[in-house]
Amino acid sequence: MAYYQATKDPTTDIRERTYVPELLHGLAVTIRHFMRNLFFPRDTNTDVLNRTGTSQITTVSYPEEQVTYPPGYRGLHRLVPREDGKPRCVACYLCATICPAQCIHIEAGEYETTDASADSRVIEKYPTSFVIDELRCIVCGLCVEACPKDAIRMDTGRHTPSEYTRSGFVWDIPRLLEGPPVNHPSDPWLKRPGSERPAHAHLEKHARIGEGLVPLKLPRPAHPVRTEVTSGPVPVTKFLRD
Amino acid sequence: MSPKDNKPSSPPPPAAPPAKPAPKNPGFVTLNIDGKEVTAKPGTNLITAAKTVGADIPYYCWHHRLSIAANCRMCLVESSTSPKLVPACQTALQEGMSIRTDTERVAEVRRSVMEFLLLNHPVDCAICDQAGECKLEDYYQRLDHKPSRLEGGKILRNKRKVLGPLVVLDQERCVQCTRCVRFMDEVAKEPQLGMFARGSEEYIDVFPGQQLTSNYSGNVVDLCPVGALLNRDFRFRARSWFLSTVASVCTGCSRGCNTYVDFMGQDVYRYRPRENDAINQSWMCDQGRLSYKPLNLARVQAPSLGRADDRREVTAAEALLRATAQLKAMAGTAELAVLVSPSCSNEDLLAGLTFAKDALGVRHLYVGGRPDGAADALLMRADKNPNRKGLAWVSAGLGLSLEPFAALLKAVQAGTVKALYVLGAEVPVDEAEAARTLAQVEFIAVQATNVTPLTETADVVLPTATHVEDEGSFVQEDGVVQRVRRAFPPRGSTRGHWNWAVDIMREFGFPLTYESARDVFRELSPKVPELASFGWDSEAPPLKTQRGLQPLATGADGRPPGYREFGAPRVRGI
Repeated sequence: MAYYQATKDPTTDIRERTYVPELLHGLAVTIRHFMRNLFFPRDTNTDVLNRTGTSQITTVSYPEEQVTYPPGYRGLHRLVPREDGKPRCVACYLCATICPAQCIHIEAGEYETTDASADSRVIEKYPTSFVIDELRCIVCGLCVEACPKDAIRMDTGRHTPSEYTRSGFVWDIPRLLEGPPVNHPSDPWLKRPGSERPAHAHLEKHARIGEGLVPLKLPRPAHPVRTEVTSGPVPVTKFLRD
Repeated sequence: MSPKDNKPSSPPPPAAPPAKPAPKNPGFVTLNIDGKEVTAKPGTNLITAAKTVGADIPYYCWHHRLSIAANCRMCLVESSTSPKLVPACQTALQEGMSIRTDTERVAEVRRSVMEFLLLNHPVDCAICDQAGECKLEDYYQRLDHKPSRLEGGKILRNKRKVLGPLVVLDQERCVQCTRCVRFMDEVAKEPQLGMFARGSEEYIDVFPGQQLTSNYSGNVVDLCPVGALLNRDFRFRARSWFLSTVASVCTGCSRGCNTYVDFMGQDVYRYRPRENDAINQSWMCDQGRLSYKPLNLARVQAPSLGRADDRREVTAAEALLRATAQLKAMAGTAELAVLVSPSCSNEDLLAGLTFAKDALGVRHLYVGGRPDGAADALLMRADKNPNRKGLAWVSAGLGLSLEPFAALLKAVQAGTVKALYVLGAEVPVDEAEAARTLAQVEFIAVQATNVTPLTETADVVLPTATHVEDEGSFVQEDGVVQRVRRAFPPRGSTRGHWNWAVDIMREFGFPLTYESARDVFRELSPKVPELASFGWDSEAPPLKTQRGLQPLATGADGRPPGYREFGAPRVRGI
């Protein structure tokens, strides 16, 4: 196909002056795109969700059809639950602190020492109110980065649904809390029964390293100890980093 | 060999101790810290001396008002007088000694000490109220910055031991510096705290069967360098980095302890003591510490007219017109009385009393104010009014005599008082009973900060700003004049006492141009000889006193730091 030279002077160019060839050229481009979209997908890897029929057209009829998002995609927030159904959040305010849009509002409360739930006695602090104004949110994901407790994630892969009122975009704990419960080995309710001083049994545990009570973190994989016979002083064994 | 020779030779005289070097600066000790010469008074602590040349020696257990324990080992430095490292807090200054705080050896020891201190520390900064003002956090970032090498579990202790009405202890977070134990022993003189057990099992606790009930228990929370001792009143209410701070004075009693007011938006969250050698050293009492609550709760926010069921909120102009009309009719007669509270600041009193004298034409004032309460030997005083001395000075300067509150009640019962202008609604007797008696008065205009029975019976209520919402000054019981700083703009439609007084005077026809408490003090204080010499600007504490993160910097529009238009940071729409 002849490449159109933009530097050509249109006043002397016969093709520009008669107009008809350029008209046909433009129609050809349009029809080429139309035909390609109709029969050939431009990107053969496009994986469109909820598409019915055998159509492979590039155009996605959102919201009936949707494209899948990459794994790191930041969608709507969710609060991660614990085993007992409460959010993992401990109301440390780090997400509210880092949030550049100031869209997170938290109010903290304290579990009573007489609370029926054993977990609650370990955790002490919890959010009485945790709301995100999804209209103000700029979906930067800094709250997820800041959270020390893995309590807030943006892995839902969904957009904020539409609402008829502004107040509908303010998401509170019941709306935010979803997903399977998550435990981490460092969680306090896995380490102790309550916030008071535990019974005596565990106290010596840390001192009895090597009896199999405590898994040891070795500085490097075990390897045969080299023994060197020397005539000098006995070498001092040290942990040396490789 | 003669017997003479056989005589054992007398031992040589003991060598005289090496003569002390003559002091380089007589009367002072001259030493060398990090290669810089330091001249200090004998008895100066090495940590303080090092600070003067910019050597910031870290410490936990040392406090300049407590005895030296030297048990945290954080302040170890190299000294020319010892082959080993010495704790700086415990080392006396010697002439000519050389101190190094910046060597590799010192840095390594500091790192090791930090590692030991953090060995059993539960790093639960996420739920710790001290986070943001914690020395463990600061020194870990500055000196250690290494992951823990502890294998196995940490020692578990009681994480929520309620010590008393105001203090809760997390024994796991404690670094055993014993500052709190020494404070209760040496300053509060109520040794209720002690160290128990040995070694890594060591923990702080109250003695068996006791509680931390001292009136100075709040100070151990300030003293605690980590998050072990926490204030139950403040616990979990705000993160420290959201709070802004302004220097102020406690108005809980006539002692006038210097404070920091920590606030967010238009809410005060806590008081902390501010260093003042002459008045409160580094401490304040629990009663004063909790006296911030009326600044947030039960405030009169809008002007209102009418008694009981006729009460309706009105605009400031309407309330001013009504008060002016009623007071003008009675001005100059003996049927008009003025009740003044000694809780008002000097500026409020200067403007309010000038109004009473020049516009209302009264010659004597009735003194209200809070009733007397408990007192103790350390800081708390029985007189719960912060400015009784100021009231005496200002009224004497303006030529007004003071009458007790009982005289007002007697005059009201006798029916000789027909109108009452009240500057500060506190009364020294039972409030409800006093309000019932004063209700016989035909017209009452009240300037009040909080809702009281007296404001309920008043015909005109003018909402008034508190001492954290306006600049001002108070006179402490010993006659020390102290400035307070404005933390945030007044709530709702409140204005300072002085502002209302000036506004009514304008309605009376006085051509006043005062726009601020500063103007009031500048124009009116020359009449009061004791106040005339006070440097209102030069004596003011600096406005920005908190290091670190401020929620909002002072804007170009003159907003104070931390002020947000919609109150504390929150989401709109809820």
